[in-house]
Amino acid sequence: MARIPLNRSQTTAVVKRLPINRMVANTVGRSSASVSRIARALLTEPTVPAGVHKEAKVSKVGANYDTDWARTYPARFARLIIRTTIMKPIVDALASPSLEGVDRLIDLDGPVIFAANHRSHADTPLMMTAVPEPWRDRLFIGAAADYWFTNRVLSPFSALVIGAIPVERKKVSRTAIDTSLELLADGWSMLIFPEGARSPDGWAREFTSGAAFLSIKAGVPVVPVYLLGTDEVWSKGNRLPRRAQATVVFGSPIMPTADDDNRSFALRIQNAVALLADEHSSDWWQARRRAAEGVTPSLQGPPADSWRRAWARSGPERRGGRRSWPAV
Amino acid sequence: MKALRFERSIGRFAAANIASRLAPGGGAKVGPLRLRDIDAPALPGEGWVEVLPRLAGICGSDLATIDARSSRYFEPIVSFPFVPGHEVVADLPAPIGHLAAGRVVIEPVLGCVTRGIDPVCDACARGDLGNCERIAFGSIEPGLQSGFCCDTGGGWSTRMVAHSSQLHAVPEDWTDEAAVMVEPTACAVHGVLAADVAEGDLVVVLGSGALGLLTIAALRRFGRPCTIMAVAKHPTQHQLALALGADSVVLPHELTRAVRRATNSLALGDGDIIRLTGGADHVIDCVGSEASLTEALSVVRPRGRVTMVGMPGQVHVDLTGLWQREITLAGAYAYGTETLPSGERRRTFDLAFELVAAAELGRLVTATYPLSQYEAAITHAATAGARGAVRIAFDLRNEKERDRA
Amino acid sequence: MPRPGFVLDVDRSTPPILFHHGEGFRLERLPAGRSRVIYPAEPIEPLKNPDAAIRHALVNPIGDSEPLTALLKPGMKLTIAFDDISLPLPPMKRPDIRQRVIEAVLELAAAAGVDDVMLIAALALHRRMTEAELRHAVGDRVYDAFAPHGLLLNHDAEDPDNLLFIGTTEKGEEVEINKRAAESDLIIYVNINLVSMDGGWKSTATGLASYRSLRHHHNVRTMQHSRSFMDRHASELHSANWRMGKVLKDSGVKVFQIETTMNNNVFGTEGPMSVLQKREWEWSLTDRISMAGMKTALDLMPQRTRRQIFQNWQAPHAMTSVQAGEVEAVHELTTANVYKQHLVPVEGQTDIMTMGLPYISPYNVNSILNPILVACLGLGYFFNLYRGKPPVREGGVLIMSHPTPWEFHPVHHPSYIDFFEQVLSETTDPIRIEAEFEKSFAEDEWYRHLYRTSHAYHGVHPFYMWYWCSHALQHLGQVIIVGGDVRAVRRLGFKPASTLQDALEMASDVVGRDATITHIHNPPILMADVH
Repeated sequence: MARIPLNRSQTTAVVKRLPINRMVANTVGRSSASVSRIARALLTEPTVPAGVHKEAKVSKVGANYDTDWARTYPARFARLIIRTTIMKPIVDALASPSLEGVDRLIDLDGPVIFAANHRSHADTPLMMTAVPEPWRDRLFIGAAADYWFTNRVLSPFSALVIGAIPVERKKVSRTAIDTSLELLADGWSMLIFPEGARSPDGWAREFTSGAAFLSIKAGVPVVPVYLLGTDEVWSKGNRLPRRAQATVVFGSPIMPTADDDNRSFALRIQNAVALLADEHSSDWWQARRRAAEGVTPSLQGPPADSWRRAWARSGPERRGGRRSWPAV
Repeated sequence: MKALRFERSIGRFAAANIASRLAPGGGAKVGPLRLRDIDAPALPGEGWVEVLPRLAGICGSDLATIDARSSRYFEPIVSFPFVPGHEVVADLPAPIGHLAAGRVVIEPVLGCVTRGIDPVCDACARGDLGNCERIAFGSIEPGLQSGFCCDTGGGWSTRMVAHSSQLHAVPEDWTDEAAVMVEPTACAVHGVLAADVAEGDLVVVLGSGALGLLTIAALRRFGRPCTIMAVAKHPTQHQLALALGADSVVLPHELTRAVRRATNSLALGDGDIIRLTGGADHVIDCVGSEASLTEALSVVRPRGRVTMVGMPGQVHVDLTGLWQREITLAGAYAYGTETLPSGERRRTFDLAFELVAAAELGRLVTATYPLSQYEAAITHAATAGARGAVRIAFDLRNEKERDRA
Repeated sequence: MPRPGFVLDVDRSTPPILFHHGEGFRLERLPAGRSRVIYPAEPIEPLKNPDAAIRHALVNPIGDSEPLTALLKPGMKLTIAFDDISLPLPPMKRPDIRQRVIEAVLELAAAAGVDDVMLIAALALHRRMTEAELRHAVGDRVYDAFAPHGLLLNHDAEDPDNLLFIGTTEKGEEVEINKRAAESDLIIYVNINLVSMDGGWKSTATGLASYRSLRHHHNVRTMQHSRSFMDRHASELHSANWRMGKVLKDSGVKVFQIETTMNNNVFGTEGPMSVLQKREWEWSLTDRISMAGMKTALDLMPQRTRRQIFQNWQAPHAMTSVQAGEVEAVHELTTANVYKQHLVPVEGQTDIMTMGLPYISPYNVNSILNPILVACLGLGYFFNLYRGKPPVREGGVLIMSHPTPWEFHPVHHPSYIDFFEQVLSETTDPIRIEAEFEKSFAEDEWYRHLYRTSHAYHGVHPFYMWYWCSHALQHLGQVIIVGGDVRAVRRLGFKPASTLQDALEMASDVVGRDATITHIHNPPILMADVH
């Protein structure tokens, strides 16, 4: 065993002289200072003298995390491998997804923005496997910086596995927008959940105008996508997913028109997803008839009390479908 | 005398049965039929006479026997060893009764009269010789016909004996080939008249071997006007069937659809016919196999009639349809006396003579063989249709022993 | 820039020429100095944005018609009829043109508040389409929206309750069509004009008609007077349909016709099949290898597998034009657009015409090309793909290459089996066949039952196939099939030959030693414009 050249008191003396937090330094000062105390002292930052303005340190994670490396060929290759060998089998096994409306994308060429409703963590892997070629291989995702990029372990994971770039929920961050626009211009397609967060009760939140803004800026069409059943697979609050049937309905691509602003275009995207939802629950023709009459059921559900919203969402089929008591 | 003789030998029966599965007629080589030098049969009694066969046909039932495929049903009504050959035209050397010396055709059924039984059984009394109840009794050994009895000999030899009641004189101007067709024609005539076809009926004749073709000819001559649909596998059969009076000739696999079209019937099955709802009024089965009987039952209409003229054996057939559709299944064997549609009663053989002449049925004898080439003859007979042949016969006119006393 | 079709004079340097041969191919050397090959044009440029083009066509109609948006009114009765499984050939990759057009039409109908909508597959006497086939044609969205409510139907030409007698033409032809369509305020017909025969009044007057009405132009006389039925203005078939169209129009039946054309891209520009639409001297090493590989592999496969592989092929052909509005005006433009792709100018006639028949005809999609359909494909369709006069002279010889197996699809073609076994064994003369047999087949209860409830072609359909051949049978001195089942070919009344050389020798008995030869390099489809 190698001898430590200093004994404990000597060490304490050295540490105390370093620019460290005074309060902590004091605890080290005791003769009985343990190794852990010394370590803690070393790790704490020094206190700042009054009158001095310390430059705020720029966080390397969160919204500022740089994900460029995740789009290099090795990273893309790694993502492809992860997607096909791990993600796809798991998604297939858990969600056995059925895809509808893929044929609507046939005339589409170049980058697009997939805008989907958001119900579950299962949405992202589901979309990553469901988006058809050629978009699947060059897809990036706007993910909440405060959730997916909180630390130095999760951040690279998010960037590599789901191809995420950090997006802030609350404010419009320049970096996120610039990165997105750059990538779209580069021919990458974007997956975005315009609701900003997973829905708490299965009904959607209002769509924010992020997707609309990017589409208008980049001149890229938006493909509305309606996801169904993913909350059954992995509902918000559950620790583990379970087996259920998920459905992905792709809509016809929509382009912003000359008189669209962010708000109105976001509304159009939301209506398009609502139309897909209606189309899926009734049929294409009835959904169109209702849309023409302006009575498409809202994605946000009826404006009512929470139990009635839940009741309306479950529908007679689902109410009878799963019994919560044992069969007699 | 030289004769082809059929001997009782279990080993050879088994061998024939196996060989025939490999090739039809294969029983000839290894089976119980052998070419022997034997004594000519003695005259069994009064009214019997020795005749010298000229031509002797090879019939389907002979082939079944040689291939050891005929039913054990026959065991008590044949007597071994026998010389086959019941389609025979022969020389009658000396006059007997009202018959002058000359060529004769033998009516082979060995009924009461030939057996010296008096009084005769009811069937013989009616003239329905084929139905005689005494074919295993009387002064000669059991045997349903000449050619299946050890006492009479048969046509596949140079000498045999026959009872004077069995002999029919052959007109001078006839060929031996025409004469040898009389016996099978009589079978066909009997079958057709037993079927009792009504005017305008659709009659399906299954099989276009000799029996099938003769049945077509008989239907045209003696039956009421009807539509005849013949089933023929081979081109020669097809042409002959048309020539002898069939209105249409179809291939075996085309039959069900053809019957459906002809009868305007519906069918069960989605394009592929499982079963017809209607069908032909009559089916005359001149093959007598499991397949042909199944086919017959599947194309006959409810309450229709299937007449088996060909000799069947042990067959495995689903008779549910027979029950549910109330089908009549009847046999027709040999000959005797017929009632024509006009009400007239005539001997079947007389009608057969008439038909052979009118339809020139002598042309159906395609090839003849000497006894020594019996294996080739039997193979030819067993594969007649495919080889463009109809009837194969043994030609005994040139056998040397024939002239010896 | 796609190259137009052209006529190649065969010389000693000409490589062997591709002949389609059912589910396979032959490579044949044609005699130098007296042979020529007519090549189709390369696929012309498709529409960049087909959906936008469709929407544009609907609101900018041709001829005497209001825009569709003005024709659609709340409370109206609307029937959308569309072409059946016989179009296009081979079936196209999803989404089908019909799906695009029908969705665009329904979008407008929904916006206009139209409630009463019915979709009908205008299949005349063809077999009913299966669910999968309907889904392919109209798309899952439309199928799921209408079929479960009984609003997406196959036309039934034998349903007395759902046919309406409209009237008779000045030539006494009876007009009787689908009752629902006839009683609608508007029929929208969605067509795919694969060849110039399709479309126009033939869409409604034939596609939605009953047997009673069809027999007036689907007969030997009409076909012998259609020179050819691919050339609308020289076709008695079309004249009859136009007369019927007039009766429909006069009786107040309102049709908004949407016609589309497509390009020749049958086998794609990539993949092993692409070699089939290249010119032989331009085959690259890959092409030669893929042809050799395909031939070898196909030879090793059982017939069933081969058929499955070919029947599963979905062509990448793309839409080249869409026009909508009044039937006749629309059809004039459609025909011109079809000609742009198909027409190849040809100088004069030759003594012999050769053609390789492929695996598919309009009547054996997902099915078997039986001998009667082989005859119809060659003598009916390919022979008639001409304008002016046939590329082969009167009394000349037609040599076709096809295995012609004695095989039928029992579900799809039950009456064909009986026609082949019972009619062609009697006679091959179309006039005798029509006089002696047509009625009994047309009125056969079983065929009617199968046509109405299963997926069978109507009992009379094989007769029409034979009538389709009647112009060629009248024109030609001899018909030879190379590499066909001998018995089946004989039953058709043609001469079997085992090789093209034998066939040419046999032909020399009819047209002499130094006969000139034209090979039609079809498919991809071409139409000879013979001067």
